[in-house]
Amino acid sequence: MKLPISLLLLTVATAPFLTSCASQAGKQPAPASSATVGDKKSDGKSVAARDELDEYKAVPISDPLEALNRVTFWLNDGLYTIVFRPLSKGYEFVIPKPVRTGIYNVFENVKFPVRLVNNTLQGNLKRAGQETGKFLVNTTVGVGGIGRPSDHIPALADVPDADTGQTLAKWGLDHGIYLVLPMLGPSSVRDAAGLAGDYALNPVNWVSIFYGGYTWIMAIPSTNTVRALPVQMGIYDSATKNALDRYLAARTAYVQYRREAALK
Amino acid sequence: MNLRPLLPVAILILLHGMACAATVEAEKHLQTAVNEVLSTAERAANLGALRTNLRPVLQKHISFDTMTRRAVGPGWRQFTKDQQKQASELFTTLIIRSYSSKFTPGERPVITFKAATEPAPGRVEAPTTLLYQGGRYSVTYRMEDSEDWRITDVVIEGVSLIANYRTQFDAQFKKGGAAAVVDALSQSVANP
Repeated sequence: MKLPISLLLLTVATAPFLTSCASQAGKQPAPASSATVGDKKSDGKSVAARDELDEYKAVPISDPLEALNRVTFWLNDGLYTIVFRPLSKGYEFVIPKPVRTGIYNVFENVKFPVRLVNNTLQGNLKRAGQETGKFLVNTTVGVGGIGRPSDHIPALADVPDADTGQTLAKWGLDHGIYLVLPMLGPSSVRDAAGLAGDYALNPVNWVSIFYGGYTWIMAIPSTNTVRALPVQMGIYDSATKNALDRYLAARTAYVQYRREAALK
Repeated sequence: MNLRPLLPVAILILLHGMACAATVEAEKHLQTAVNEVLSTAERAANLGALRTNLRPVLQKHISFDTMTRRAVGPGWRQFTKDQQKQASELFTTLIIRSYSSKFTPGERPVITFKAATEPAPGRVEAPTTLLYQGGRYSVTYRMEDSEDWRITDVVIEGVSLIANYRTQFDAQFKKGGAAAVVDALSQSVANP
């Protein structure tokens, strides 16, 4: 079919305008929940028609160990209330905020191999490069990772996190069954395997292997745990506070969060 | 000159213009809402005052009725009018309480607005980045043009507020229908 030249010219001329808004839909990551708001079927204009689509169906994950998981969940909850939350509050009270931020940043910066290896395993060499750039900038200009000057460099500011569970998900592995791990909380068979990978790739844990000795084994990983507590407790509270069923709230939030991570 | 071949292009331009107008309008509403929330949060002396002052602001910009209906799902039709009203009021209180608790009076988050999209007519998704207390979070606001552009869901790091409550409402609904949902909501609201 031969197209009129005027039509071709007009199409070429208007292409930038036609793509400037509409193309963003393609860039938008799919919603992490089962709520596919962008579904083309949802073109119904009335609110009632949209309600009928029922876009927020329960997020699926197999949970055959629910009874055991609930027990572990409540034990963890008690542990958080009795030990971790007071420890977190004490840490926040004793250590000034700028120091806490610095410590937090250093440990995040040291985790660089976890992000580098997983981005590489995912075949995302661009992000592996960005992570390397981030690490170099924060280690040098940020003085050993205390500061995060990379946040002020647009190309390095918004690099999504990468971990081993996410790599396994990108390789097509499903969660398997849902697990609540003692102390660590929500996970799955896949993500528990991922945690083992992250543990091995995190230099914080190498120190105890290379230098040995009880003091090292305790000191650095313990500091790593304590520095992350305020953030972890905040995430846990956000997911479970004001819930009707805290176990279900934590499980749903976890599955959605991990789905989003796998899409990034 | 035969202009018929240009018709599809003209239609495309028209539709594109309408889509852009929707995202621009929704973004404008969202920015107004965010600014009002932040200035209200800044003025609040404590968490109690924050909750009280935020309520009318959030009610203006968030469609709590839509949120409640979507969180309950198809079971909503089996609620009586009274149960629907009760559920909606309780859920509103719960969401406002949950939202307010995320603020620390005196600390202002930095919010960067990214390009919004229109996944379907009358619906806009507005992604933002939130820098708050040393953390960087992706927050997407889902908005609908019902009475006006209103927020109908908030998705933080991929976790949809509505989807999170849906699982919990489903479990209650299976146990004892609408009454169980309203009871569970009442209990949650009663627990500080």
